[in-house]
Amino acid sequence: MKSKTSLPVSYRLAVTSRVLAAVVGGYLMASLASICLALWLPTSRADAVITGMMSSFVFYLLAVLWCFACRSAARAWFGVLLPSAAFATLAGVGLWMTRV
Amino acid sequence: MKEGFRQAMAWLHTWAGLIFGWLLFAIFLTGTLSYFKDEISHWMQPEVQARPLDDARSLTVAQTYLQQVAPTAARWFITLPDSRDPGLSVMWQDKVDPGKRGNFIQKTLDPVTGQAVQARESMGGEFFYRFHFQLQMPHPWGRWLSTIAAMVMFIALITGIITHKKIFKDFFTFRPRKGQRSWLDGHNAVGVLVLPFHLMITYSSLVIFMSMVMPAPILASYGNDTRAFFSEVFPNTNNAPASGQPGTLLPLVPMYEQARAQWAGGHVGRVAVNNPGDMNASVNVLRAGSDSVVHDFGSTVSFNGSTGELLRVSGGQSLPAAIGGSFYGLHMGHFAGPVLRWLYFICGLAGTAMIGTGLVIWLGKRQLKHLKSNVMPFELRLVEVLNIASMSGLMIAIAAFFWANRLLPVTFAERSGWEVQTFFIAWGLSLLHAILRRGRQGWVEQLSVGALLFIAIPLLNALTTSHHLGVSLATGDWAMAGFDLTSLASGIFLGWAAWKMQHRTVPAPKVERTRGLTLKQEAN
Amino acid sequence: MLLALLMCYAGFTALCLSTDRHHGELLHSRPTPRRRLGLRVAGWLLLTVSIWPAVAIAGWGQGLVEWCAVLMLSALLLVLLLPYRPRLALILAGVGLLASPVAAFATL
Repeated sequence: MKSKTSLPVSYRLAVTSRVLAAVVGGYLMASLASICLALWLPTSRADAVITGMMSSFVFYLLAVLWCFACRSAARAWFGVLLPSAAFATLAGVGLWMTRV
Repeated sequence: MKEGFRQAMAWLHTWAGLIFGWLLFAIFLTGTLSYFKDEISHWMQPEVQARPLDDARSLTVAQTYLQQVAPTAARWFITLPDSRDPGLSVMWQDKVDPGKRGNFIQKTLDPVTGQAVQARESMGGEFFYRFHFQLQMPHPWGRWLSTIAAMVMFIALITGIITHKKIFKDFFTFRPRKGQRSWLDGHNAVGVLVLPFHLMITYSSLVIFMSMVMPAPILASYGNDTRAFFSEVFPNTNNAPASGQPGTLLPLVPMYEQARAQWAGGHVGRVAVNNPGDMNASVNVLRAGSDSVVHDFGSTVSFNGSTGELLRVSGGQSLPAAIGGSFYGLHMGHFAGPVLRWLYFICGLAGTAMIGTGLVIWLGKRQLKHLKSNVMPFELRLVEVLNIASMSGLMIAIAAFFWANRLLPVTFAERSGWEVQTFFIAWGLSLLHAILRRGRQGWVEQLSVGALLFIAIPLLNALTTSHHLGVSLATGDWAMAGFDLTSLASGIFLGWAAWKMQHRTVPAPKVERTRGLTLKQEAN
Repeated sequence: MLLALLMCYAGFTALCLSTDRHHGELLHSRPTPRRRLGLRVAGWLLLTVSIWPAVAIAGWGQGLVEWCAVLMLSALLLVLLLPYRPRLALILAGVGLLASPVAAFATL
């Protein structure tokens, strides 16, 4: 699994794709998850925000682990974007409820 | 990545650890030194005299000084001396620019005479502390980079735990003199045994900068009004604006005493005065961080400065704020007494050693394949050079920083800046040296230079100041003596590591040459 | 903190002796199942009970931090001593156990 010169280009691209999924996708998912916590936790507003920020790094960690543990780069993206979409929906509902 | 979960995690551990290892090594080592920030500053500014602590006197002295020097300032900050840091620090801000940081002026006063302390210009331990999270980069970038490094460290720790198959079976195992095996044992031992510290220090560093790196929830909940969030979390930042009418500030000492009474005798760390020359002057008395493990930024008693009326006593923390506060408090270790501080220091060295051994293992494993051909591929050579420069080179740079402090003339222009320059010049030279010399000679020579520099520090101190070991031990100046003795010990360990590497009997397992390094960090 | 340190060190030594490999290295024999169980129980007991002196002296917040620090450092010390000075490691544990009542008397 070492990136030696003999490694095929497809492998290198796959690794790059996974790294991107982990770094960018992971950050996106962690941000959305923390927004959900901040909006939905039944504590005071500031406390919910603090809890969201503090726990976001665990979500980031899980996303990164998933990106490198799953079987293919496509799955890595899928596994990061699907929960992101779910969190985004939840956050959207939360935002809409605070506005109304 | 068709292999199993554990292999995938091992791959992640290896590469994340390699790419950020050199940076993390420097962050960990300088962070470890920061636990003795005040002691290092004391050694680097021996002119600052320790006075018996008397908060009331210090506060009066500071107020008199500020009334004379900065009566129209927007804010004053007075940081009281404590047993570790003998200087009375006053700071003021001429006018508040919301968009800009800075325009702060800081002076250290003698808490008895009230004169600005005349000491050699030096950043002291503050340099290591700042470097540890700002990496000598312009404002937000260093913090971002070090927080990213912390996230990588967190990932490396967790994947390391997953990868390590026999945590409990190998719990007590360390087999020296077995080449690659010993390095791995050492890496596992310092990793697993000090794991609670590693997890705490890594996660807390993320929490410390969380509002910078993870601003999404603040934006979602508060929209663009992020200030509202901070004033909800830290109510003491929410002070009355200046009225524009001149007023007289009452003496601060009675307010100080009232605040201590509110905290059942707790200590005051800092006093902040807003608009000192105004009718609406407000005084915030902040509690010292050394009072409790759970750090509370908002632990404040606020007064009206011109009437002395008690305005507000901050309540207890909510649970999430307390959790965040304990991460902060645990990371900083302000509450730690001398013994616990040394334990913190040793834990930090263990973390540094874990990163160092990890880097050495990476190279050792791959070098074995190229032993016969005696030609190293470029990327292995690169890793070797960076290993040498980031580990032994950093030691030399640290020693050079201390040497510069003693050798640069006191009147030298930009003196403290040049101390820092010396640090980076020495580091750069060691990188150059590592490029020019072959691996083993590189290690031996740099470790020897580091050893000489560190061993000579007590001597240098004796030659250039009147605070040599004979004096500091006799007068009980433990910070001064401790610094000299620790330098001596680090030097001896570096020398031992160099000797060990020079006298490797078997040249075959190249990795083993560097085995002294594991213990070297423990010495520093 | 001293008492907690002594107890943690002795506790880890007991746990270490309860494994076949280290028992063999240190005492040149295999532990009997009963002995292994006894050592294991004693080790865990010592580690758990050592929270008490730490907390009793310094309070919960600071006490727990001190206990964690002492726990980590005593294990590190033991592991570093084992390959180089195995006898010293054992003697230290014994001396520690003997000295702990004195330490308890002096600090509590």
